Parts: sequence; structure tokens; C-alpha cells
Amino acid sequence: MESIRKLIYYSILITIFQYVYCDDFKEEIFLKPLPPTHLYGYFQFVTLVDSETSSFHSHLAPRSLTEVISRFQVEELHLTLTEGQWRHHQWGYPVLDAAPGAELYAWFSPDVADVDTQWKKLTSTLSGLFCASLNFIDNFNTVTPQMALWPMGAVKSGQNVTSQLRYASLPREIVCTENLTPWKKLLPCESSRGFSSLLNSRMIHNTNYHSIGVHVRKICKSNDCSETQLEIKQTVALVYDYDIINSNDWSFRKLFGQGLPGACPLSSESKIYIDITSNDTHAYTLTPPPDNIIVSQRGGSDTRLAVYNIKADGQMINIGAKHNSKPDLPVSIPPPLHFNRYILGYGKEFGGIVTELTNNCWTSINVVVLENAPWWLPLQLSSLRVNGQAESSLVLSQYYSPGRSRQKPYHLELLIKLPPRSTTTVTIDFEFVFLKWQEYPPDANHGFYVGSALISANLPTARNYTSLPIAGTTFDSVVNASKQWYPIVFRTNGAMVSLPTPDFSMPYNVICLACTVVALAFGPLHNICTKELVLKPLGTPVSLTQKLFNLFKKKRD
Amino acid sequence: MAKQERKGETEESNRMWASASFVGVLIIIGLPLWWKTTEVYRVSLPFDKISSFDTLPHAITTELSVLANDDATATEIIGLIEHAFKDSDVIKLKISKSIISKQLQSTLEFVADEAEAVEEVGVTFDLTQHNSFYVVQRKPLFQDTWLAGDRVLFFRDAKAATTVVETLKRVVYQTAVLEGAKSETADVARQTRFPPGAGYHIVLSVVHPNPEALDVELDAGEAVEDYIGSFVDELSVLHNFTLKSQWLHLLDFDFQAKEVKDTSEWGRHFSVRTERLHLLLTRLEERAATHVSELPTLNLALYAVRCQAAPLIIYDLNDKKVSSPVQAFMSPKWGGVVLGSPSAGDCRHERAIWRPNVRLIMGTFISQLRKLLGITDAEHITGAHLEPLRSVTPRQWEIDNLLRIRTLEQLTSAERTLQSLAQLLGEISNIVINDDVGASINSAVDSIQRASELMQKGDLVEAYKMSQSAFLAAETAFMEPSLLALLYFPDDQKYAIYIPLFLPIMFPVVLSLKNLLLWFRGKPIHKEKTD
Repeated sequence: MESIRKLIYYSILITIFQYVYCDDFKEEIFLKPLPPTHLYGYFQFVTLVDSETSSFHSHLAPRSLTEVISRFQVEELHLTLTEGQWRHHQWGYPVLDAAPGAELYAWFSPDVADVDTQWKKLTSTLSGLFCASLNFIDNFNTVTPQMALWPMGAVKSGQNVTSQLRYASLPREIVCTENLTPWKKLLPCESSRGFSSLLNSRMIHNTNYHSIGVHVRKICKSNDCSETQLEIKQTVALVYDYDIINSNDWSFRKLFGQGLPGACPLSSESKIYIDITSNDTHAYTLTPPPDNIIVSQRGGSDTRLAVYNIKADGQMINIGAKHNSKPDLPVSIPPPLHFNRYILGYGKEFGGIVTELTNNCWTSINVVVLENAPWWLPLQLSSLRVNGQAESSLVLSQYYSPGRSRQKPYHLELLIKLPPRSTTTVTIDFEFVFLKWQEYPPDANHGFYVGSALISANLPTARNYTSLPIAGTTFDSVVNASKQWYPIVFRTNGAMVSLPTPDFSMPYNVICLACTVVALAFGPLHNICTKELVLKPLGTPVSLTQKLFNLFKKKRD
Repeated sequence: MAKQERKGETEESNRMWASASFVGVLIIIGLPLWWKTTEVYRVSLPFDKISSFDTLPHAITTELSVLANDDATATEIIGLIEHAFKDSDVIKLKISKSIISKQLQSTLEFVADEAEAVEEVGVTFDLTQHNSFYVVQRKPLFQDTWLAGDRVLFFRDAKAATTVVETLKRVVYQTAVLEGAKSETADVARQTRFPPGAGYHIVLSVVHPNPEALDVELDAGEAVEDYIGSFVDELSVLHNFTLKSQWLHLLDFDFQAKEVKDTSEWGRHFSVRTERLHLLLTRLEERAATHVSELPTLNLALYAVRCQAAPLIIYDLNDKKVSSPVQAFMSPKWGGVVLGSPSAGDCRHERAIWRPNVRLIMGTFISQLRKLLGITDAEHITGAHLEPLRSVTPRQWEIDNLLRIRTLEQLTSAERTLQSLAQLLGEISNIVINDDVGASINSAVDSIQRASELMQKGDLVEAYKMSQSAFLAAETAFMEPSLLALLYFPDDQKYAIYIPLFLPIMFPVVLSLKNLLLWFRGKPIHKEKTD
């Protein structure tokens, strides 16, 4: 009874709080050991705001971001800055996948007529906001995915969402502290209190994979969806290597350099979830013991989650795991769908991209593969082969938009039905292109990055699946969230090609040489054409200059 | 022998033609071609107009009506006013004289309250017109002159004439500030107010360093819309304003305050030195995200002092308390900060709750905004009465004067920008002027001339708009990055490439010119060396 009264009291308090400010902030950490050698850490900071009031007057939401969203009429925005490559076949699936480098996609409001201009303005503004080179996103590296991406948020039914979507990735972008600092400034607690104080740039850049992201979408406030809320989700994904932290036993102090100094005082919920399913095979004990353990059955796989409720009392907490025995030899079970991508060919004339998709499931899976090649890598649709066949029955639908030199990238989308327990290979050839000398990036011999392909799939099973359900905001929505399909968008690994690269000092050498040769050749030529050789008889009267010349000559003698 | 000579002559003419063709290719065709291809692109600019800006008249014509009970008083007052404004090169008064009708005269003497008297004047005369002002005689007045928010100045009789002139000069027209707006060096008012612009964003940041121990009950958005909104609505003729608010949590600043015992409810207060305060602005800048807006941002910050450090009181450089109900300070061209301390009663609760006095705080912000937007506080003149401001709205004649200040400021700023651009173009030959820049320079020049004409005519609002477009066009032209497109290629490097190529080629060609000229004139080239 007492607890119920307390609950009512708190819920009234929370509703009053929300009534005054209309916004809510939650922070969560999800930790999952990836046996045998890795640990996945995922932070999410969720701010919910009423869509109507958010743009000019903000309380917990970052004004800089809400203002950008409202100024450019963005409906949904996903920005990730990633260093490293997620290994799907080894680590399973992340909560949110991200392409290496910078990746940005956004849906604009249907009122926006000129999406391209708005997109350019948005990228430039975000580039300033996050200190990333997003301003290099232009029409020549932007595509409009037709099938691969769908809005995560609430959209008015019957609305043409595809035409308002723009997607771009910058695989060359290097992510570092200068991106993390502005990202932290968007949080209401910044980095002084709460879970974000763990994000110490010295430690989190010392990982195998790290990715920071900002995801803004509109979600329904109530079941009938007459009102929407703006959800601003800031995420950090980290993959630690036990070799780097020098032990299999991890703790917050080892991972982040310090303990957790309590929750953010502004958050309405601060929880840490630790996936302890792997405890059966790699036994370890958690210290301090979790507040409670949830068993979740989702899509045929059982997950056990240890939950810690963190209070904002400023007490240092150091959660850690201690392994009880030496680890056994690992048996790696690959996830239901995994893939690989590589570049074919030799020489500097032709090449090809191969994408291998492996379906380990007992049933066929429909996937959309989006190949996005820059204009200097012309994909030839005629060379498209699926499992070596030009006309494959596996391809259910196909979209191809040829690129244009310096204006538009090549964009190919395939809807493929992957047969059960099989590997499907998609091959497409390309030609190498000569660039103008100013178009080469600095250090051109380093090679040219080709962005990741997007693979959008509806998985029939939730094995290795950690993503939140589409309507979910926090991690508790994962529990027992069985659905018919588990939608996910993967990014394959990026690739590198080396384009024919000239010797850049050559033009300068040529100019210098040509000038010298011209200058040397011109003198005699001019002399021959315009001068006459005249015999000078002896004893002629000497001119004044000759006299002077002779005088010098004598003196020298 | 003759045959040999003739052969020599034909050879000679062949050589000369060869030499002439070298000259033809290299000097007559080559040089102009080289000149043309390496020329820096520049649109032709109205340099003569730009250099003649100094001779443009810069005085603003403004209407002044003197209403007196009898002709003699009116003439005397007008005479004095005309004399005082005779030498002014910023303001040109167009004074009209009229005698108050008997009916109005009796009403004015009958009504007790000055505000009512203003209303009565408003019935007969249009007080809402920009750039007009009425000097009205009203016998039952305790002071020499009386001035309120409307465009009316009451005076008692002819003896008050000097006070009228002083009030007009120093309060209503503020000729010193107007002079300052067009002078080369910035005066105090110009150092404080924001540079002119088409619009401003006003951001109220509520800084809350201690959310776990103190609740601040304040709807920042509503406060901004209510108070600041109704203030800036009055200034909508000048600029567009966008109002915003945000909360900055957990932004803690170490004031290095010293505890001082006193007799208040707290039994203490904390003293913070003024020289420490500007460091707070740096901390605010880190989080306030002022750079996101596309227009200049006026920052207003309310710092909620934590209970342990309350009340916080600012001490000046001489270690004296700054006596003010609100602890606030202003940073010129940046914004204002109010330090709000919860009371002892607020902090005594188990969960401390601070309900800020919104009226008082917003009033402070508005008085800071007035200065930041260019309204200067009037100085006191003996014998003259100035009604204190009762609401957030600025006085009518203050808006008129602000229009005048901004018009002059924008006009002189645009002129100086164009003049320095013209000077730069003369000094640095590498600057490119493309068609866009040329168009905005031309439009700026046109707008300056139009604005000057409109100022002559006394059409203040239009003149302001024109001067603003001149200012904006001049700024865009001056700040255009395409101006610098070729600047990275300095002249000495150019010559490092040209000299090795041109010197060995041009030398023999130029030297051959002498022989060529002699030959063309039919003179012998070689002195006959035969005996």
C-alpha cells in the first residue's frame, strides 16, 4: 500500500514536472559482453519534447539542435560519426548500426519544396555544430534511397516520404575528441554529472569501435497519435577489447577511467542494463549485485538482463564483472544474416565490387541492398551478376540511378530474396576514372574510400538482435517484445580503391623545363634570323665603347 | 659589285622583316594577349560617386511644431530654438508655428493631470507621426518643462525658453549621440549598442547550476514572450526580433565570493568583485550556443545562485556595494546578466524552491536591452521634468531618435565601407570584383543617395529602411569571400615565373627595336665602315 501511494505521489510529481516544462530526459547504458574477447557498451540519452513548443523555448532539449531542426523543417534526422568497423559475423548486431566515417540522413517536412538546397544548408549547419566535415556533402555524394530506408518516427499516412529523404556518407571522415565535445554540450547535464561523465575521450577513443550519434524523430504522444513529440536520442556505441584493458575482468574504472558519479539530476530515469546471457558459458559475477534481473523472451531467444537503477545522490558506483574461471575455447555462432564486401580486379582500368550475403536461417529473408558508389566509380548495370547470373530469380525488384560526372553518384538498390542456409553473391563492375588534378584529395596515394552499402532486412528471428522495437524509446521496451519481423538496417564494411594517380609535381617540372628550353632556344634563333655576320677589317677607327672595353682589358692584363 | 650590294640589301630587308615579325608576335600580339588573359576580373564601379559621399548632406530634416498661447511667446521660443540648432549638421529643424485655439487653451489649463493634457493635444494633433514633435504651452505647470512618453513637450511660458532648448537638444534629439553615430571614433553609446542589423535574436538563458538542491519555478518562454515581447514589438519598425529561451543546467561558475556578515535575514551576504564577472561570460559562451542563429544574438542570462552562496552581491572596484534591488551587469555588444539569489525563506524549505520576481528581473533585462539596442538614458536638466517609464514600452520620441541614430550610423558605416573598399581596390590589384559584388556595390551606392534624399525630405522611416539596405549591401560586398579568390597568389611569385621566361626572350626583341626603327625610317643601319 505504501509503495502504491509512493508511486502515485511520484507519478503526480512527474506529471506536474512534465506539465510545467513538457519535456523529459532519460539516460541508459546497455553493456553486453561479446565473448570471447570483446565488450559492447551502448549509451543512450533520450530527451522528449513537445513538438509545438520546442523550437524557440527549450528546457532540457538542446536549443542549438531544436533550432536547426525547426529552421530547416526536418522531420527526422540521423547523424552518426564512427571510427572502426562493426564485425557483424563475430559480434552479432549492434543496437543501431553505423557506417564508418560520417553518415547523415534526414527526412524533410512535406512543405519543403526544394529539398536539395535545404539539405545543403542543413549539412553546412550541422558541420559547424559538430565540428565535422559534413559541409563536404553535396549533390555529388547524396542519394535518395528508394527502398532501403524508412522513417523510424511518426509520419502522416499517405505521405510521400521517399522524395523528402536524403542520404550521404563520408567514409574518409576521422572521428575524434573535437566531435565528442560539441556532442556532449547537447546533453542537459553536459559531461559534469550523470552517465555522460563516463565519456572520457581519453578512454573511449581507445576502443576497437566507437560511434557517436544523434537521432531525432517524431513519436506519438498517445495511442491515437493526434499529437507528436520530438525524441532526441544521443547515442554512443563502444566496443572494448579485453586485450586493450589488459584483463577479462572489466569494471567501469577500467573501461572509462573512473567510476560513475551517480545519475544526472535532471533525468527521470537512469538505468544500466547488462546482458548476462553469456554468463552461462563464461561465468562471471557482477559487483555490486544488480537491483533486479529481467528475463526477456523475444523472437525465440532468451535474454537475461541485469538492471541497476542509479540515483542522483552523487555516490561513486563502480560496476564490474569478475570471471570465475579461465575462459573456454569459444564456439562462435554466426548471426542469422551476415555479409562481407570486397573489391575485385587489378590494374587501373577495371574493377568490381562483391557483396556476399549469408543467410543462416531456416527460412528465406528478403533484404534490400543499396550500393552507393561515387561518380568517379561508374557502376555498370550490365555487369550486375547475382550468384554469377545476369537474370536471377532472386532479385525481386531493382532500382538503378546512373551517376553523372561531378554531379550525381551511382545508386543501385536491389530487393533480393535470400534462400535459407545459403550465401548470395552480388557482383558489379566499374571503371576507373581520371580525375582533374584539383579533385584529388591530399595524400591521393592513400587510396579512395568507397562508402558502405546499406542492407535493410526484416529478420524472422531475434537472435543476436539488440535493437529497440520501433515504438520503443527506452531499453525496457525490449523485454518480451516479440514481433513477427525484426527490422534492421546494416552497414557493410567500407572499401578502398586506388585510382590512377598522377605525379603531382610533374606539371611544375614541365613548366620549368619548357621555360628554360624556350629561353635557351630563342636567343640563337633570334640572332640567326636578325643578325648578320660582318667581317671587321683591321685598322678601323675604334668606337667609344670599344675604347672603354679595351681599357678594361688592358687593366686586367 | 652592284649585284652583291643588292643581294646585301635584300638580305638586310629579310633580316629586318624577321626582326619585325618577332616584334609583331611578341610585343604587338603577345603582350596584349598576356595582359588580357592574366587580368583580374573587375566590374566597373562608380568610384566618382563613392568619392563624392563626403559632400552628400547628412542632416535629417525633422518637423517641430511650436504651439503657444500668443504669437510673441511662440516667436521667442522659435528664435531661440533656431539659433541653437543653426550649426547642427545632423539635424535640420522644420519649425512650424501656431497659436493654440481658445478652446484647447482653456482645456489645457483646466485639466489637472499632464497625461490628460497630452490626450487633449492628441485629439487636435496627430501625435503618432514619426519624426514630428510638439512643443506646447501649458500655463499651470510646476516645472519649466514637462516631457512624457508621447511626442509632446509642455512648457510654462517664454521664460522657460532656455530649458525648452536644452531639453530638445539633450533629451529629445540628443544631438551629441547623433554626432557620435557618424563620427569616426565610437562614443560610449556606440560602444554599448549592437552594430546595426536587419534583425536580432534575443535569447534568455536561465543558468541553473544546482538543479538537485534547488527548484527554480519560472516559465522562461512565457516571461520572454510577455515582457521582452511587448518591448520589442514597439521597436518592430527598426528590426525584426526573434525571442528564444533556454535552460543551462549544471553550469557552475566560481565567483570567488567572500562572505560578509550583515544584519539581513540571512545574517550574511557574499560579495563578488566586478572584475571577476566577465569570466562568467566566457563560461556562458561555451554552452549558450549563440552561434547557431543566422542573425546576431543578444544574450540575456539569469543566473540562479545556489543557496549556499546566496545572497550574492556585486561590489565595485572601490569595494563598495552596488546599491540596486537586482544584482545585474551588462556586457556591451553581448548582452546582460542578472544574478538572482533565492531568499532565506526559499532556502529554508526541505526542498528549496525559488520563485524569481519575474517583473523585477525582466525590468532589469529591458533596461539593459534599451542600452544594447541604442536607446540612451536621458540626462537630467534643471527645471525640466521627465516622466519616469511606467511600462516596458519605450517613449515615442526615443523611437524617433533611435531611427535617426540608426539611419546616420548605417549611412556613414555604408559610406565608409565602400570608401575603404575603393581604397583597397586601388592598393591591392589582385582583388576580384565579380558581377554579384558589383551589383551589391551599385545598389549600396544608389541606396545611400536615395537615403540622403529621403533624409532631406524628412521621411525618416523610409530613409531608415533605405540606409539599412545600403548598409547590408555594402557589408555583403565587403565580406564577400570571392574578393580574395586571387589574393593568395602574391606578385613576387608571379614575377618569379615571368622573369625567367620573359627576360631572355624580350631582351633581344626590345634591343632590335632600335635598328628596326632606323631601317623603317630609311636610314642606314650600319655606319659605313669602309674607307
